Amino acid sequence: MATSNTTSRATNHTMGEHSEQFEEALKALDVYKNKDVSKVVVRFKAVGNAPIMKQNFYKITASNRFQAVIHFLRKELGWTSGEPLFTYINLSFSPAPDDTVANLFKACGTDGHLIVNYSTTQAWG
Amino acid sequence: MSAYGTTRQPPTAGSGPKDKTTDYHTALFRRLAWEGTVPIEIRVDPKELPANSDRGLECYYLQAPRVTYLPLLLPEIRRFLMDVVFDEAAASSLKEEDWWFETEEGTVMKWHWPIGLIYDTHTISRFVRNPTAYAASSSTATPLRLILHLASPPVEKLLLAPSQEACKQAFMGQIKEADFIRWGSTKRVTGLRKNEQDGIWEGIKDHNFDDYWRVASKVTPSASPGSSLSAQSSGHTRPGTDIGTAIDRDGAYSVRSIPARIYLPDGPVLQEFVSPLLEDGTPNTLGKFLSAHLSLLFPPRPPAPPPSRSNPNPQPPSVQELAYAMVQGVITPPESEMAWLGVCLAGADGWLNICIGINKV
Repeated sequence: MATSNTTSRATNHTMGEHSEQFEEALKALDVYKNKDVSKVVVRFKAVGNAPIMKQNFYKITASNRFQAVIHFLRKELGWTSGEPLFTYINLSFSPAPDDTVANLFKACGTDGHLIVNYSTTQAWG
Repeated sequence: MSAYGTTRQPPTAGSGPKDKTTDYHTALFRRLAWEGTVPIEIRVDPKELPANSDRGLECYYLQAPRVTYLPLLLPEIRRFLMDVVFDEAAASSLKEEDWWFETEEGTVMKWHWPIGLIYDTHTISRFVRNPTAYAASSSTATPLRLILHLASPPVEKLLLAPSQEACKQAFMGQIKEADFIRWGSTKRVTGLRKNEQDGIWEGIKDHNFDDYWRVASKVTPSASPGSSLSAQSSGHTRPGTDIGTAIDRDGAYSVRSIPARIYLPDGPVLQEFVSPLLEDGTPNTLGKFLSAHLSLLFPPRPPAPPPSRSNPNPQPPSVQELAYAMVQGVITPPESEMAWLGVCLAGADGWLNICIGINKV
């Protein structure tokens, strides 16, 4: 269970054929590495006594990690690094900072937006 | 095997939760996934070794549970270094919050990824970087070689503080996100009492299967394919439901989507909507899921030719697969049902992590 076993599946093929297969796989990986440049509308909603933003709709590139959203929000609010800020999706959970905006939107988007709640104290802990 | 019901069975009249019988295969695979370990070699960066360190001993080997996290291993590593390698002056000046790990290739290890996932993504990535070097390595487990740095953590890449508390918060966030993906709400997790939420994390810290599943069984769907009515976690059935014929509305095959992430060699991480059942009502399988979303690596298989007198049981033509899927370190057959994988081989945070490896040349 603990180990990965990646022994070759087919050893009776010629070397050239295998190399071609491998190149084809690498090409496929390159395609999947292409960043999603589409935009996602992020809607920020303050919770509790967190300050309200003048503008609360922003378009953010889908390939960004959620960490970038947190950075952006802190900057907009003029938050210094020591001040606590908690962020949630749909009033439900704090995503991992390396979740991408694209993945979060796909799984949890609401009416074409990704709703990000922010709070100065921990909510839904 | 655990006495705790990892699958919620319909209680018969008059019997309480004590009567839960555990689905043998569910419990078996959950136990196997839980007991899985990976070998790790930790070496202090020789350039950062404090003066008077006992060189030659700066390497530490451990067999770590797949479900654990690096911050939970730090105390054991620290104890070894303090006792054996560093002298007292160095030991008192070192700050654990500055410690961080990276691989020999320079990949920074994230604090909030389960060890098993770190190991598997490393396995699939290093092969693509250097196929000839690793083509010969057989089924023997090679340790994950990590370099421990004692200063200047790259905070932007680590994303979180190395504390157990930060790791626990991230873990709870992932459990809730998984709950949200399954049901569209997090009420199963938020319905847990404080001591249960703490208990699920303690179960991981202590690597205690029973402690973990005592709570996790309340938020993890049962594996039965819609044949049994699950009781609420308290063991009471809902009134008015017909036991035996009702669809298991809390079961693995009733979720909105299975919380799953696909890890490709050297990134990216993909997340897709994973319905437990296909449009025709048959269970969604790993093979169908992968050919739907990674068709370049998992092209749909050609169908078998129609049976004839000379060949009454035709097999589909054999194809050379470009890639393979690995869950919990195990190459996973394409016919595995996604719903089953999602509740039997998911990580402790409820997420099914599918690592895609490229087949050897």
